[in-house]
Amino acid sequence: MRRRRVDPAAGARAGALPEAIAALSRSLPSGPSPEIFRRAKFDRPEATSALWQLLFRVLSPLPAGNALASIALEVQARLVKSALCSQGYPRLALAQLPEDGSKGSRELLLALSWLLARGPVPEQMLAQTRVPLGDEMTVCQCEALASLGPPAPHMEAEGPVDVRHVQWLMGKLRFRWRQLVSSQQEQCALLSKIHLYTRGCHSDQNLGHLSVTEAEMLRDPEGGQKLLRTLEHESRRLEAVLAWRRAEPVFWQWMDTVLGTCAPEAPAAASQPTFLPWVPECGDGELELVVRELQTLEEELREAVERRRVAWEAKARGCGRGPEWSAARRASRETVEKELGALQRCWEQDSGPAPAHGPHRLVRREDGAAGDRDLRAAELIRTLRSQEACLEAVLRQLQGQCWQELAGLAGALPGLIWIPPPGR
Amino acid sequence: MRERKLRGRPRSSGSGLGSPAGKGRPSRPEGAWLFRGGKLQGDTAAFMLPADCSRRLVAELQGALDACAHRQLQLEQSLRVCRRLLQAWEPTGTWAWEPPPEPETNEEDPLPACTPSPQDLKELEFLTQALEKAVRVRRGITKAGERNKAPSLKPRSIVTSPGTTASTPPQSPGQAGGHASDRRPTKGLRQTTVPAKGRPERRLPSVRDRTRAGIGARAPRPGAGLRNQHMAPSAAPQAPEAFTLKEKGHLLRLPAAFRKAASQNSRPSSPAGITVSLCGSWGAPRVHPSLWAQLSSMQTSDSMDAAAAKTQFLRNIQTASGGSQPRLSAAEVEAEARRLRKACSLLRLRVREELSAAPMDWMQEYRCLLMLEGLQAMVGQCLQRLQELRAAVAERPPLPCPVGRPPRASPSCGGGAEPTWSPQLLVYSSTQELQTLAALKLRVAVLDQQIHLEKVLMAELLPLVSAAQPEGPSWLTLCRAAHSLLCEGGARVLTILRDEPVD
Repeated sequence: MRRRRVDPAAGARAGALPEAIAALSRSLPSGPSPEIFRRAKFDRPEATSALWQLLFRVLSPLPAGNALASIALEVQARLVKSALCSQGYPRLALAQLPEDGSKGSRELLLALSWLLARGPVPEQMLAQTRVPLGDEMTVCQCEALASLGPPAPHMEAEGPVDVRHVQWLMGKLRFRWRQLVSSQQEQCALLSKIHLYTRGCHSDQNLGHLSVTEAEMLRDPEGGQKLLRTLEHESRRLEAVLAWRRAEPVFWQWMDTVLGTCAPEAPAAASQPTFLPWVPECGDGELELVVRELQTLEEELREAVERRRVAWEAKARGCGRGPEWSAARRASRETVEKELGALQRCWEQDSGPAPAHGPHRLVRREDGAAGDRDLRAAELIRTLRSQEACLEAVLRQLQGQCWQELAGLAGALPGLIWIPPPGR
Repeated sequence: MRERKLRGRPRSSGSGLGSPAGKGRPSRPEGAWLFRGGKLQGDTAAFMLPADCSRRLVAELQGALDACAHRQLQLEQSLRVCRRLLQAWEPTGTWAWEPPPEPETNEEDPLPACTPSPQDLKELEFLTQALEKAVRVRRGITKAGERNKAPSLKPRSIVTSPGTTASTPPQSPGQAGGHASDRRPTKGLRQTTVPAKGRPERRLPSVRDRTRAGIGARAPRPGAGLRNQHMAPSAAPQAPEAFTLKEKGHLLRLPAAFRKAASQNSRPSSPAGITVSLCGSWGAPRVHPSLWAQLSSMQTSDSMDAAAAKTQFLRNIQTASGGSQPRLSAAEVEAEARRLRKACSLLRLRVREELSAAPMDWMQEYRCLLMLEGLQAMVGQCLQRLQELRAAVAERPPLPCPVGRPPRASPSCGGGAEPTWSPQLLVYSSTQELQTLAALKLRVAVLDQQIHLEKVLMAELLPLVSAAQPEGPSWLTLCRAAHSLLCEGGARVLTILRDEPVD
């Protein structure tokens, strides 16, 4: 079917749009063919299911796997709707689409473009499935001991549980922490040995030695071939993404025309269909905890401030009032304001000069020399130590708070002697 | 005054792990003995938590346990791979020590199969010198009595004499297999330079053989240094020694196809690097930057047209849509909550600091007072913001998701930074340093988990303790458990003694 050109004067641009769309579909994982895009502009029903599936792939928080592929189309469609809703997608028509894939391809195309406009979607998807060639270590703590999905149903406790079972679980957890520590030490030692023994091998002078992946490739040639194929596949997708970026403006002009063919929606009535959020990240529980903490803090501060203000006023009355006095007070006020502002900026801005997200490739060098864009282990260690000290202080303080409360409760009862374990 | 007689000794509080009593196992829990008129009674009372509290606590702990198990699994997989690599294995395919494909009569003469470029020869010279030096060093290290200068490769039988650490027979068929595989036109082989390169490398294993075979009882053979190798090249691949990374790791070479693909894909540090290769036949050095690097640079300099077009499109779609004003999306709520969590911990720490500081003079006292008042105002603001967020979240009842959810971002992490696409390097200088780094990372993650659990436990247990009736053995169980979990992190248990008057 010949596409009806919207702008007949676009002689030079005629070929650019198909190319742009082709680049886009190559750069997305299992991207639909450019034909699907064209059909979607005219709201053809055959394009719908492919677009549902593409949106599902893009919005799913997990990397692609067999589990994802086996989910039925209706379920995928429902999850896509709720994900878009939770991201604040404004169009209502999408929410009202049937989930069996019978119609609505134009709306889906608009939704896809909305996502593409908001963030670098092809790059993000590529980064998710990147082939790690080196031994990598993440610098940020984002996924350090991330909690996985909701617990399997059979694991959930049914009914009341003895508090000693909770103690037992805690003990089990402590044991697992210790296990992790020792396994990790061993892994680091082995990794370091492999780096040491393969010194001088790598063609890239900066790296200097092989990584485990590369050595494994030499040991197991089939695996190596697979790795090579994946690498080349990734390179093709990278090229597609670069082509897409270069050809983007044409796509957006086209999308404006697509949007033009849709009738503008009426403003919503009072009731909007509620959607279950895809990702129940911070349920009420999390916020509750923070609220409670802040409330206790507020109480504490209120008392302390009252006390000190009264004491200060009494003292200040005694000292005279001179010009240097008020100047000193003003100076103090200014310093305090500046400090408070800095403190606020600490959490307002997401991250200042913090090291970049994402994994870093481990490289062993005897002299520890590093380029300006590289990180040094010694510096990271320093940062981590201060973080550790900070966290330990927080934990100790929380535990102290608990001890005070419990001691208060226990002290109310005569006839019991509480002997805390040694060391406290 | 009541006379108090305490009979017996309380058992010392549990060391190491907390009370290991499983559910339903009748036992005397550590630390609480009741003396009732002199009779000893074990305390086996259970304290049952209410159902919803149980569910929440068990879910949290189970989540933490699963996360640890997941990480443990990853570590064990990695360990398996590393251990396998450090044992003896067969590098098939590309292997720097490649015997030349055609038999030679006199391997001393440079083979005319290819004329190595002068640069190659120079590099080979460097390599040879480096290897000779390595040999000298190694010889110096090996004990004098075991020094053995015989070229041990010629007759296999000698080398496989007992007492050597030479590898098992599978090595030779493997090596022959390797030989055969070299003939196959696999992508990784650099046939043309094999002869030129084969010579210096081949010397090294023989030295290795010498030093290792020397451990066994062998007659010393006269031999000079490295140049005394009159072995037939066909015997060369028959080295019965296993390949281990330790011995020969530095001789490995990655296949050329892989190198090409990898350098096209990503070059970790230098933005537009030139691949230096010791093998002249690989081709002209590449100069253009890798694909990932191109992507990063394109990212930072997003074209003006595209950016403008995108914002315009978003605006258009907003106006053409019936949706209400953009409410807070769940993602934004999460981000805001994260920020406020961070704010809370920062504020709390600061308040501690200020409260514990002892002001010296009135100036400091004034400053401290102002600081505390400012902090109080900030806490108030955060609380207000949180209440608003809670109201926004309360509209939507959360439900478990069938597909899984993204990992809970740890509060220590800055979060939200724009990821760089091509990985940068993290340089370390010794095993010790790497271990320290990894251990610290793990410690911070564990502390995060612990703090989170502490807060959850506080929220669940403290109300129970204050509301429970302080009678009966089950209350004691609760107290003991609460203390252990909340104040000792589950590590130790306290002792409670009941104080009864002696009848």
